[in-house]
Amino acid sequence: MDPQEARNVIEAVDLHKSYGEVPAVVGIDLQVTAGEVVAVLGPNGAGKTTTLELLLGLRSPSAGRVTVFGLPPHHVAVRGRVGAMLQDTAAPESLTVTEMVDLVGHYYPHALPTADVVARADLLVHASKRVTQLSGGQRQRLSFAVAIVGDPDLLFLDEPTAALDVHARQAFWEQAREFARLGKTLLFSTHNLAEADLAAERVILINHGRIVHDDTPARIKSLIPGKTIELLTDATTDQLETVKGVQQVATLHDREAPGIRESSRPGLHRLRLQVAEPEPVLRAVFAAGHRVEDLTVTEASLEQAFLHLTGDQGDPATTAPRTRRH
Amino acid sequence: MAGLTTPQAFPHRLSPSERPSTGILGLLATQVLMEVRRYRRLPEYFIGVVVLPVILYTMFGLPEAGKVLPRGTDVGAMMFVSFGCYGVVSQALFSFGGELAAERGKGWLRRLRATPMPMWVYFAGKVALNLVFTAVTLVGMAAVAVVAGGVSFDPLRLLACGGLIVTGVLAFSTMGSAIAYWVRPRAVATIVNLVFLPLSFLSGFFYPLDQLPGVFTTIAQALPTHHFGLLAWGLMGPAEDMDAFGNPATGSTTLHVVVVLAWWSACGLLTVLGYRRDLDRERS
Repeated sequence: MDPQEARNVIEAVDLHKSYGEVPAVVGIDLQVTAGEVVAVLGPNGAGKTTTLELLLGLRSPSAGRVTVFGLPPHHVAVRGRVGAMLQDTAAPESLTVTEMVDLVGHYYPHALPTADVVARADLLVHASKRVTQLSGGQRQRLSFAVAIVGDPDLLFLDEPTAALDVHARQAFWEQAREFARLGKTLLFSTHNLAEADLAAERVILINHGRIVHDDTPARIKSLIPGKTIELLTDATTDQLETVKGVQQVATLHDREAPGIRESSRPGLHRLRLQVAEPEPVLRAVFAAGHRVEDLTVTEASLEQAFLHLTGDQGDPATTAPRTRRH
Repeated sequence: MAGLTTPQAFPHRLSPSERPSTGILGLLATQVLMEVRRYRRLPEYFIGVVVLPVILYTMFGLPEAGKVLPRGTDVGAMMFVSFGCYGVVSQALFSFGGELAAERGKGWLRRLRATPMPMWVYFAGKVALNLVFTAVTLVGMAAVAVVAGGVSFDPLRLLACGGLIVTGVLAFSTMGSAIAYWVRPRAVATIVNLVFLPLSFLSGFFYPLDQLPGVFTTIAQALPTHHFGLLAWGLMGPAEDMDAFGNPATGSTTLHVVVVLAWWSACGLLTVLGYRRDLDRERS
């Protein structure tokens, strides 16, 4: 172990994980130093949760190795310094919020005062409610409370704001930042780019179990194509692909726009274009004399960004670029 | 304790409001307290497991109270032992079988693996919960026997017998946990019922054994619950009264203890194997 490696809070080398024949994580290398706030960003099924579970020691890698604070992640000394907020974990039903937090706090070598934790999770008014009486968002905040009560030096959060409304999200990230200010390390997963941008100083983009990009949020955003154009047109995919500024063309299936039937618009088909700037592209399409109807221009979604960043031909559920032409 | 700390290259970044832990005793006390609170608040559990033996004793034991066996033991006292044994077996199997399986199925045990809590603390909490609840059942039954049935207990015999019955929590805990780790969580409640009702019946807790067909008596010789019952009745009344009660004192104390321990060990081994299988599956 070189001196730098010995200082990495998280050190993962060539991590692999397969479930039976299905690969979930395929060669992840990851170094995180103390005090970093890292977002693991990726679409559903990209391998985010598996990666977190490997770093937590809840799963063993099929190949590769991982250390946390210089030890295997399931080591009791590591678990005493790590807090985790996982998805879908039931808590003992008949305990109250306060009792749950107090109980879990006793599991750790250091603990925050229970009332303090309940307040930070914005659960003060629900403190004496039983777990079964909590809403989805309140349960998620309880899960956060349970994750931080041991005053962890490293906090893992798996899609922490999935069930929270906008106000609760802001309050949540304010609390998370408070932790980061103490020099603690945060690693959270999300499929929301805006959230990664808001909360993290480093974004790790993963798809199909691989790290695709590892950079600052600003640099990641600059990699993403500007806009998505959807339209009905008589121009062919091949014609559009030659237009300058068009990064990708996909034919949309009927069910994408159930109100519009291709048969009622003979000669027109529905396409989705990824473009850097929409205006020059549309000018070129009109200049070539093509018909254009039902035009919409939107910000590129993360899923579309992945198509771009990964050169992935995927997302077969909605589009089939270049293969399902009509 | 170098093995319990992370390397010095990673200093703690503690919060200003942090307080050091209360140590293992504080942890144990909290775990036990929370387990007791949890189940006290679940009426389906508390009534079904803790109160039901008292109700059954009231229905079937009280009518026999006041009848006296040849050497002076009250039949109501012997039936206190029968229903006490039934109570502790049901307690151990439902808690270590049903509840453990439910927590395993819901993912709570897995969540606990991400905390530094040692698993033995979790099991110790369950044992303590069962000791407390079994004691509550026995006190309730004794109160009913004395107040409503006018049963006169020999205080020393009652204490010794109650003490023994409470240890049944430990004796049958591994049978419950073996079921919890080897049966699908959804099937556990059914299996627990399929195990503990015949066990209670064949061990003479509901009916005197000598009123059952001989084949049942033969089967009973292999059951830990039967031998546990013989130990308990033996503490409440002399052999002659056990014979008259219908559960004849057969075999030596050593034999009873050996059979109970053999089952405990075998089920304990099954639990350990099941626990490891579970851990491997979850991590795979």
